[in-house]
Amino acid sequence: MHRLIASGVLVMVVYAIALIIGTAIAAPTSLTGFTQVFFPQQYSELYGGITGDWQQLGQLFTQLQGDLFWKVFLGVITVVPAVFLLHFMIVGAKSFSHDGPQILFFNAFTRLIHWIGAIAFSLLVITGLLIIFGGIFGGGAPIRFARTVHLVAAIVFAFDAVLMFLIWVKDMFPALCDIHWIFILGGYLSKEKKPVPAGKYNAGQKAWFWLATVGGLAMAYTGYVIWGMQGDLDTVRLYAIIHNILGMVLVSLFLTHLYMSLFAIKGSLNSMITGYKPKEEVDILHSRYKYE
Amino acid sequence: MARMRFLCDTERCIDCSGCVVACKEGNHVPVGINRRRVITMKQGEPGEKSISVACMHCSDAPCIAVCPVDAIYQRADGIVLVSKETCIGCGYCFMACPFGAPQFPKGNVFGARGAMDKCTFCAGGPEENFSAEEKKLYGQNRIAEGKVPLCASMCATKALLAGDADVVADVFRERVFQRGSGVNAWGWNRAYKKD
Repeated sequence: MHRLIASGVLVMVVYAIALIIGTAIAAPTSLTGFTQVFFPQQYSELYGGITGDWQQLGQLFTQLQGDLFWKVFLGVITVVPAVFLLHFMIVGAKSFSHDGPQILFFNAFTRLIHWIGAIAFSLLVITGLLIIFGGIFGGGAPIRFARTVHLVAAIVFAFDAVLMFLIWVKDMFPALCDIHWIFILGGYLSKEKKPVPAGKYNAGQKAWFWLATVGGLAMAYTGYVIWGMQGDLDTVRLYAIIHNILGMVLVSLFLTHLYMSLFAIKGSLNSMITGYKPKEEVDILHSRYKYE
Repeated sequence: MARMRFLCDTERCIDCSGCVVACKEGNHVPVGINRRRVITMKQGEPGEKSISVACMHCSDAPCIAVCPVDAIYQRADGIVLVSKETCIGCGYCFMACPFGAPQFPKGNVFGARGAMDKCTFCAGGPEENFSAEEKKLYGQNRIAEGKVPLCASMCATKALLAGDADVVADVFRERVFQRGSGVNAWGWNRAYKKD
């Protein structure tokens, strides 16, 4: 009899607890939910769930890539060489006698690292422009091959950029005379041979160094993320924008570097082949350099 | 010329994913590629809604704007198609698309993406209609046969509508008129509640 009463009470307690918990759970999720209708704001919620934050970086990327990037790149590869052509015709090349004493500027290891980087970087610029203007060439297999070359050259350049950074960084910190150099544009606007304020490297070379090595590594990293498209899509969009804008700066400085080494100073290409610059040239263009 | 359009009636979509399966099977879409997918919001909560999403075949499509090799184009009837021979797999269209429509199979070299694949509105591609090449690259060309896309034609609840935008809009307007909208829409009370 006692057991019957005890079990009866127990059952009642269990039922009571179940009732309390049951109503607590059921109350907010009762069938009244089914009478909810679909209002326009719920539609926008639905589409918001699909499109995410497209209106921020997605729209920006679409506008920049669709309307702007190719025009700026076209401007860079036409205006920059045109300006240099004008400079070459009006001011002309600087020439220094290569017969006098020579000063060692680049040792063999430096030149090797420079030329590996030069080949890789040239390939990166050419294939990068091929991808940007791929529509002109009809796309397809040739441009797909250009992408593969772009990747391989980028891997080579990324390792090379680290070495270039280590070789040159000690000479590349900004100095006070760099400001003066920038104001007179390195003396390239006049024909007279007046000593130019610059140490072993001038302000232009320093700018090119920092952009090519640190900027080059930034290009390598953003490019790696764009290639693999891992992670957040908004990050990939941001990196694609950075990759393009930094690319414009690098292409224009690359063209400047080409003009300076090939045309603006006669025979200056020799210094990267033999390693020596004529003393006369160093005294004028790198007047603050203390050589032995 | 008619403007082709998809419309998914979210009051009818029951998240059966039949459209996804029909598209994949009928067009022999490779594993890992989904031209169409069903998205469910508030799953298991009051107000749960599902919608079937593929390429929206946008006017002024972002993918066409960003493609560096002009591989994507829009037909006169509004269908956006891609030429897989021209595509270089750069992925810009995927970054530009608000709906995640462009899909990329694995390419051959260094984890590169293959040519972009997306909903063709079952209209094939730039190759000649009904050619073996077209079928291999893009799947069926049901539009040239005068049929609606596979996904819409098999939709069990007829939630997914496809075809001439004006006709699709008329069908949907008629439906909304019949069942009401806003607070007057059919729901649990109308179907089951006894007065």
